[in-house]
Amino acid sequence: MQRDKIIELVNEVFLEDFEMEAGQLVPEVHLFTELGLDSLDVVDLVVALQKKFDVSIRDDERVRDIRTLNDLYDFIEALGQEMGSK
Amino acid sequence: MFYRLQTILLNLTFYLLFFAVAAVLVPILVVYGCVLVPFCSWRRTLKRIRALIRVYGITMIHLGWPFIRIRTEWADEPPPEPCIYICNHRATSDGFLMGMLGCEGVQVVNIWPFKIPVLGVFARLAGYLSIREMPAEEFMQQGTRLLDDGVSIIAFPEGTRSGSRQMGPFHGALFRLALRSGAPIVPLCLSGTEDKPTKGSVIMKPGLIRMRFMPPITADVYQEMSPFKLKNHVRNCMISELEQMEQEE
Repeated sequence: MQRDKIIELVNEVFLEDFEMEAGQLVPEVHLFTELGLDSLDVVDLVVALQKKFDVSIRDDERVRDIRTLNDLYDFIEALGQEMGSK
Repeated sequence: MFYRLQTILLNLTFYLLFFAVAAVLVPILVVYGCVLVPFCSWRRTLKRIRALIRVYGITMIHLGWPFIRIRTEWADEPPPEPCIYICNHRATSDGFLMGMLGCEGVQVVNIWPFKIPVLGVFARLAGYLSIREMPAEEFMQQGTRLLDDGVSIIAFPEGTRSGSRQMGPFHGALFRLALRSGAPIVPLCLSGTEDKPTKGSVIMKPGLIRMRFMPPITADVYQEMSPFKLKNHVRNCMISELEQMEQEE
């Protein structure tokens, strides 16, 4: 999947499931300190992303290292490449 | 110069009285509580323990008078009980201020209040919810049970003292509890506590503490919101109200 498409779909999750405004969704924004997500919101986010991308990321340790929206795009992109190579 | 003198007098009298009153009041409350336990149902005992904690809080928060004054500002109607009180958190005195609520309530706290000698035991007995020590689902179950029993939940969703007039981000567990239970949310804005005492210090500063109860946010308003949207909605309402309160000063 192209990065542009990943960005579009991830942003859709934030717009639809978290009712955020498009202007907030810049790549360098910090998910916790700036967008205000907490640990329970992360669980909701993981569920929504799994549904959107049809992947299983619940037990993926890399989720813990995600801080910014850009980290999240990178993570989904890496996940897509891993799945494509299998 | 006058302010400095007031600060010195306040801290001398406050801490002297704080330890003296604690030394007298805590044993009295313990004895009073223990003597009555065998004669009451457990539900009534719980109610009494919560009332004793309230008495302690009210007493302690008034020890700073006349240097520290407290003003409560109510919305048009008294808050519906039980409800979920959502308060901003600037300083240690906020916890004591909750005695002013006058309702049967349980605070959602971090681990450290349970470590205070004697009072920690009272807090545990009163069913205070140690949110860091319990899984999310257990918190939801206990919170719902308390609300069903007519007990209000009092919480500081920032999770820690901000130490300033800035409000930190909110944690969402309380708002998930509201969505599950349908309990009204009452935002309670605390202003003037940020230097009573300042975070990292024990020095209390003279001044006015204002407790403003905002109108309740009922389930019919928030039931369609996501937990994330609800917590930010409440936070934004409180930020606006606090800005207004502080402009009035």
